[in-house]
Amino acid sequence: MVLNIARARRTCFAGLAGALLIAMLAPLLMAQAELTGTVTDPAGTAVAFAFVTTTNVETGGALPAATGMDGIYRFTLPSGNYRIKFESRGYETQEIPEAVVSESSRLIENCVLEAVAQTQGNTTADPAQKTAPNPSNKPQEPSLEDLGISPSQAKGNAREQALLDRRSHMLKVHQRLGLITIAPLGATLITSAFAGGRETSRASRDAHAALGTATVGMYFTTAYFAIRAPKIPGTRTRGPIRLHKTLAWIHGPGMVLTPILGEMAFAQKNRGERVHGIASAHGPVAIVTAGAFGLAVASVSFKF
Amino acid sequence: MLRKLLISFWLLSLPCLAWADSQWVLKRSTVTYHVSHPLHQFDGVSHAAKGKGICSDGECNFLIAVPVKSFDSGDSNRDLHMLQVTRGAEFPLVTVRTRLPESAATSATITLDLEVQFAGHTFEYKQVPFERSVQGSDARITGTIPAKLTDFKIDPPTLLTMPIKNEIPVRVDLNWGPYDRTMSFPKSWGSRSRRGNPGDGNEAL
Repeated sequence: MVLNIARARRTCFAGLAGALLIAMLAPLLMAQAELTGTVTDPAGTAVAFAFVTTTNVETGGALPAATGMDGIYRFTLPSGNYRIKFESRGYETQEIPEAVVSESSRLIENCVLEAVAQTQGNTTADPAQKTAPNPSNKPQEPSLEDLGISPSQAKGNAREQALLDRRSHMLKVHQRLGLITIAPLGATLITSAFAGGRETSRASRDAHAALGTATVGMYFTTAYFAIRAPKIPGTRTRGPIRLHKTLAWIHGPGMVLTPILGEMAFAQKNRGERVHGIASAHGPVAIVTAGAFGLAVASVSFKF
Repeated sequence: MLRKLLISFWLLSLPCLAWADSQWVLKRSTVTYHVSHPLHQFDGVSHAAKGKGICSDGECNFLIAVPVKSFDSGDSNRDLHMLQVTRGAEFPLVTVRTRLPESAATSATITLDLEVQFAGHTFEYKQVPFERSVQGSDARITGTIPAKLTDFKIDPPTLLTMPIKNEIPVRVDLNWGPYDRTMSFPKSWGSRSRRGNPGDGNEAL
């Protein structure tokens, strides 16, 4: 039975690893193309910090960017059909409904933004402004440049966002699996009372072993999602998460050691022997491991 | 002779200075968002806001920008998660624009219409009350913006499958001083505020 579970787990891991490999390689296999252009006002002056958003017409996936000081925006996209939206404060929003980006090519889509006349809030619009909208009024309002913010600081980084999204997704799975793992872990601890004493049956030990195997399987699947979650460069761990990570150095080796010792104890019991030698450490190691695991969950769940 | 010339030049230059549009710059700031979750509450604090106000024709226009990454909640993992849900890498700045009549700038209580750009969305908060106090030549503005996650179409993050509250009031404490043309903004945005960068780890709030 233990062998069957181990085989099933191996098959499950292989399937999971295969699916993950395909998921990771899929974007690399897709052909990339460049979409670029310049955003200007009617006078031909470059519009800096304009928001440019591309939306894949088929999938609906949107990708934002901002123009630099030179008014130039740039995207690297998989080939497809895109809708491009140009937005900037003080200008009418423009949209190109369809731009076909072809494999390994460079598409240039320039945009001329018309100045908008309206003013926001409760202030009344100047009629002169309505008839002759003039972005030259903008210096009356501070700009990001006035604050000393460079275009690179104001510009979004879609790649970093994608990395954060992937990280969060994997850690959400990690969190859910960790919570689910508590169930078989608790059941294993409860059944241990019927598996280790003098008056135990083979069936009780089998049930305990099966639950323990399920716990270990769940645990390492949970750990996989934390270990494989993308790291954000230049980050430093601080706060309660430090305790959560430190505890992994206790429950991690414990989850390796506990089933090994359990297997030894299981074999000794089945031979009609009293559990002896290093196998007698199975219970204490399991308790320390479960305690560290519980504390790790609590460390990120409650404020101490 | 030289002294007389200098004094004459200084006296002549005074009216020119008086006519010039007045400008304000944000000297010190504390921006704090508050999050409530059934299991706990926490605050995220940033001291990295930059701001400027330009007054002309009886009206003052203000712009304040805060990097989303600069908020520190005391837990690196939580900060990274907040950065993710607020699309902080795609839209790295929170900007607030407001305007008020120059005459209103001397009142002890001012109400402002705020245009906040955050997470790729713009939301306008009407008639938000702020307290104003004077400290020498500086003006201190304090108040709370009644922000909500739904205002910016942000899905509430969850912990143990329980979402945080929609309300994330943002308390601001801003110290404004007259703009000196020789001054420059601190170049502190290259690094993150206070205790360094958020770290990686498990998802948590």
